[in-house]
Amino acid sequence: MGNLKEKVDKKKQKRSKKDNNSKFSEKDAMIKKEDERSKVNKPAEKKKRKREKGNNFDGGDAIQTSREDDQTKAEGEKKMNKLRKKKQRSEEQNNALVGKYHQPGSESEVGFNEQKCKAIGKSKKTKKKKKEHDTSKEEENKVEKRGETDHGEAYCISSVDEDCSKGLKKWLTDYHQSRPGLKVLQQRLDEFIISHEEKLEQERKEREAQVAEGGWTVVKHHKGRKKTTDSESGITVGSVAPAAVENQMTKKKPKEVGLEFYRFQKREAQRSEIMALRSKFEEDRKRIQQLRAARKFRPY
Amino acid sequence: MDSDILAEPMDFKVSELINEVQIDHSPAFTKHVNDTVSSIRNSIDKIPDNLVVTGEEAAGFVRDVGADKVEFKFKKPKSIEIGGSYSIKCVVKPDISVDLFIQLPKECFHEKDYLNHRYHAKRFVYLCVISKSLKSDSSFAKVEWSTLQNEARKPVLLVYPADKLAEVPGFFVRIIPTAKSLFNAAKLDLKRNNVRALNQGEISLPTPRYNCSILEDMCLEDNTEFLKKTFLGWKALGEALVLLKVWARQRDFIHSHDGLNGYLIAIILSYLVAHEKVNSSMRPLQIFRVTLDFIANSKLWTRGLFLQKQGEIKILKESFVGIGSTIKSLRPGNPQISGLRPPTRLLRRGVVFELNFHLAISSIWGIHLLFPFHFFLDFVSMSQDFLICSNVQLQNEASLTLQCFGKSGDSAFEDIFMTKIDFAAKYDYCVRLNLKGNSEFYSSGYCLDEECWRLYEKKVHSLLSQGLNDRAKSIRVIWRNIPSCCSLENGLSTLDGEPLLAGISLSSLDKAFRVVDIGPDAEKKEEATRFRKFWGEKAELRRFKDGKIAESTDPMSFSASLLGAFDVLSKRLRLIEDIPLKVSSVQPLDPAFRFTSVFPPEPHPLASEKGNVPRLHKLTSSCIQPLEVMIQLEGSGNWPMDDVAIEKTKSAFLLKIGESLENSWGMTCTATEDDVDVLQSGYAFRLKILHERGLSLVKREIGSDQGKRVSSADQKLFVHSQHSSMINGLQGVFPIYGPVVRLAKRWVASHMFSACLSEEAIELLVAHLFVKPLPFTVPCSRITGFLRFLRLLAEYDWTFSPLIVDINSDFNACDKKEIYDKFMLTRKGYEESSQNISPAMFLATSYDKASEAWTRLSPNILELKRLVAYARSSANLLTRLVFQDQTESYRWECLFCTPLTNYDAVILLHGDRLPYPQRLLFPSKLNHGRLVAHGNASKDFQPFMLPGDLRGSLDKMKNKLLVDFDPLRCYIADLQASVLKCFKECNTLKLWYDYLGGDAVGLTWERSCSKKRDREEASDAEDPIDVLKAVGEAGKGFVKSVHFLKAPRLMN
Repeated sequence: MGNLKEKVDKKKQKRSKKDNNSKFSEKDAMIKKEDERSKVNKPAEKKKRKREKGNNFDGGDAIQTSREDDQTKAEGEKKMNKLRKKKQRSEEQNNALVGKYHQPGSESEVGFNEQKCKAIGKSKKTKKKKKEHDTSKEEENKVEKRGETDHGEAYCISSVDEDCSKGLKKWLTDYHQSRPGLKVLQQRLDEFIISHEEKLEQERKEREAQVAEGGWTVVKHHKGRKKTTDSESGITVGSVAPAAVENQMTKKKPKEVGLEFYRFQKREAQRSEIMALRSKFEEDRKRIQQLRAARKFRPY
Repeated sequence: MDSDILAEPMDFKVSELINEVQIDHSPAFTKHVNDTVSSIRNSIDKIPDNLVVTGEEAAGFVRDVGADKVEFKFKKPKSIEIGGSYSIKCVVKPDISVDLFIQLPKECFHEKDYLNHRYHAKRFVYLCVISKSLKSDSSFAKVEWSTLQNEARKPVLLVYPADKLAEVPGFFVRIIPTAKSLFNAAKLDLKRNNVRALNQGEISLPTPRYNCSILEDMCLEDNTEFLKKTFLGWKALGEALVLLKVWARQRDFIHSHDGLNGYLIAIILSYLVAHEKVNSSMRPLQIFRVTLDFIANSKLWTRGLFLQKQGEIKILKESFVGIGSTIKSLRPGNPQISGLRPPTRLLRRGVVFELNFHLAISSIWGIHLLFPFHFFLDFVSMSQDFLICSNVQLQNEASLTLQCFGKSGDSAFEDIFMTKIDFAAKYDYCVRLNLKGNSEFYSSGYCLDEECWRLYEKKVHSLLSQGLNDRAKSIRVIWRNIPSCCSLENGLSTLDGEPLLAGISLSSLDKAFRVVDIGPDAEKKEEATRFRKFWGEKAELRRFKDGKIAESTDPMSFSASLLGAFDVLSKRLRLIEDIPLKVSSVQPLDPAFRFTSVFPPEPHPLASEKGNVPRLHKLTSSCIQPLEVMIQLEGSGNWPMDDVAIEKTKSAFLLKIGESLENSWGMTCTATEDDVDVLQSGYAFRLKILHERGLSLVKREIGSDQGKRVSSADQKLFVHSQHSSMINGLQGVFPIYGPVVRLAKRWVASHMFSACLSEEAIELLVAHLFVKPLPFTVPCSRITGFLRFLRLLAEYDWTFSPLIVDINSDFNACDKKEIYDKFMLTRKGYEESSQNISPAMFLATSYDKASEAWTRLSPNILELKRLVAYARSSANLLTRLVFQDQTESYRWECLFCTPLTNYDAVILLHGDRLPYPQRLLFPSKLNHGRLVAHGNASKDFQPFMLPGDLRGSLDKMKNKLLVDFDPLRCYIADLQASVLKCFKECNTLKLWYDYLGGDAVGLTWERSCSKKRDREEASDAEDPIDVLKAVGEAGKGFVKSVHFLKAPRLMN
């Protein structure tokens, strides 16, 4: 039973995820179509294959959106989707390998200036590349067989000056819309403040009503003794709790009388000295521990 | 041991440092050294005795030093002994070498060979024979020429054994010939002339340096013996020597042929021991301090050091005779020699040897040549030029270091031992002279008394100091002319390949950049003629000499007009009557007001008041950047209490203010719901109101030290205003501060770190360089300041240290403790995970002790790592640019041109759709990766006004002017808001961009925090290509192309 339930759960999860995906692939498909239209001159063979692919997806998507509950179909789609993705990914890998860019990746990359200008990185990483090569050989072969179409052709961002929902056009529209003029803004502000005040008034009334209803306030009592050891370091804090002392110090105003006049002043001075010493000690201890861990004393 | 460590953290670091740099005299290492030495011995033994050597194999060298007779019959060296730092166990990494003294046999030399460089020539030829034999021996990998203290006439051999020991990479043996008791030292008296070529007719000029050069060889062994006696068995003294060596090596301008070297430091230490200034109870660091104090403050430098000698060594009385008169005769007419002791007194005191220190001569360097003052008895020191200028520099450096002990606090150790203080970072201006193939400087011979390269150093120094006058605080000229591997056999003409370096420290900017040098009084004829002679035609003209790195003048005029405009604005604001509360104060916030914005705003013709008809030129920008100005209003009790209402009320006030300004002054006001901008005198000002109650709210919350709350608008404004006035003050004190900040900001932006490091944080970092300059002095040029900024970024220990920027020095011990406590709180998580640090860069200032204002969210630890790597790389490049010719394509441009290959994907933008296309430094190009998407530029936006826009009424034109419109910012915001969200499932995309107007945006895949996802699910994740397409789509009309370079790593 439990197993079954788990399975079902899993499927649900997947589906919900795929729904997400499907939105994307839908777009993708549309984009692809556009692509095709814009590139009529392509060799016929390629075009054909491409159309097939596009149709497939179209169909898949349609099914997906219209009959979500149909599990078997969905299952099939999933496979298809996966296949497509696998293919694409391997292609990427292929591309990545073929393209002779340097893998910079790690943040610690030094000497990038040279890289830029000399593009020597290639030789550096050839070893690594080789390794990747071996592992992905199989996939690569597959890619070679059917993946040629996507090579070297890129998606063209279309309808630059028509589409107001995205890009520069949108930002410009936003800009102009956000500056409707002082009068309009003033009006909006007035409206906002009025409604805000009304809201506040209402809240206040509600609160009052609540208080009138009950009328009880809970008073809490703090149990337990004061802490005598620091929870972190285990050092005994005793009567000189740092927080307490600091509080005291901040509350008291410095008096005009000489520093050593009253006994309590001496006591305070002693206390703060102890505090300072202790904190210094702690500081040094921590610092040294860190240094031990870090260990960088190479002056060259 | 442990209690010691706790007592003094610096001691702990020092002992760690010593462990790091000192070489372990392990059995393996000792054996390695002994094996190498014995194979050298064997190899030398193989050379047949009485081999006739003619000097033909080194004809070039013999010719160039000007020696006449060099034939001799080869005899085996009298002894082969290990000397130098290895013998006193003070070898300091990374240069691991052993000095091997081979004593030249007397039989090979004639009595008079001290004359005319015969000794030098024979010495070299002798080495040539040995080198030949070593080269044929298979137990040596490499035999190279080098020289002793950069003195070309005294070569030494570097021998690299074929067997390598992993402990000591790059280990070599330095074969140094010695000349113990080869000549009569009396003949090498300072006043004697031993180079006949120098004679001009009747007058025979003395050759003190030449003489010393030979004497040095004669004394090497005895001196080493003496050092051994002092150092062996005294661990702390040896460690102090190691420290001093590390210290000197970090300062390459004093660690040079005319400055300090390990050997001299050892001699100084033994002097201190002999005079009981150092005793056996001292720790190494204490000895170090005492030594520096001695170097910095001792009056003995004016006289020279004298070491009392134990044991019996015969004293050469003759050499004393007439030393005083020597000096006088050398410098007729001048010398105010101070502190010269009569030789007889020296004798009475039993003084035995003297180091190579000078008499202080109060005359201007370069006009009168200075001679080292040597009392040479039988073991005179190494005695090359300890020129007075280098001596002064040395003393200055030592006192700077002593200041570090006192002032730097926690960072003293780093300042003293870990910071590289080279020419590029130390001096404000560096001049590099490339003298390759310039025959002028050796026209009178390579080696007379002094070598021509040294003479040229002096000439350059004298020229610079005369020309710069009091503009320069100090000038240092060094020509390390001997390349690392050279073939000396063919002569000395090839020794000019390395550039000569001159470093100049400015005294003050006012002095340094004054336009006119006022010469001497016309009445003082002699001086006046000298002045005329020096300056020639320029004497009447402008006497301003340009350094190699030229300072361009700041567009101060813009700033002046900006400040004027601001004054007018603030006056008008205060005069406003038709609002309920009057404006009580106006404060500028934008960096432009404190001269730290990369592009000082230029007045825009369309941003002026009504009535002024603008004259429009062709390239009128269609965008204008508003400058933030903060307003405070009179106090009132009628403000609302909650945040939202406060902000709305402020907007309402600002709208009223804008309207009023529009009505009474004809200024244009444009507003959105959040911002109100007014246009005046060509600038756009963005008005903000600081509300006092919001401020007190802030203070209360700081008190309860809950660092994790969202800061209110008022708090942000308050911090901004504090920062602004603080930096403004600093900028007034250091005029070069602004330019350095601007370079730094440009650098940060060029490498697309705009999102990581805020402008204010950069200002603080640079401020730190000015308020805490140690171990340097305050930078006086933007290049030096910029280099130090890069190094600060690259080398500061960000993980374990807060950077306290104490601009007005208003922190006391209590404040520092508070800062430190807060810092420790942020580092609590470090032990669990080194990633768990926030803020990664802790910048504490007087208004922000918990580093919440600028670096709380960024850079995070990974961004900081990247930043540090970039800074290091740029710092190295800049240093190289200073030191070497850059013939290849990578030059200074690379400092501000980021390699796009370091990103996983790159978006290229249409350069002509950037709001300020003229600010783009280098148009980006990308040859790698796969083109994912490309698009055309939109026709809706042009960075410059089109001719069509310029017609029509002024109001219409003004409407075309876009205030604060930045497509890049919109694009980034859109990406962050929409597209990237879809992708958050598995990986996230991180954006890197240049807010100053770069035409590229870098993308890197970043792993999200949920690592539990299994592989199956990961493979279900969004396809990166699809994401990139969506990314391109979102920037329609702005994006030129999207390139895919590297797939995100799949998670396992």
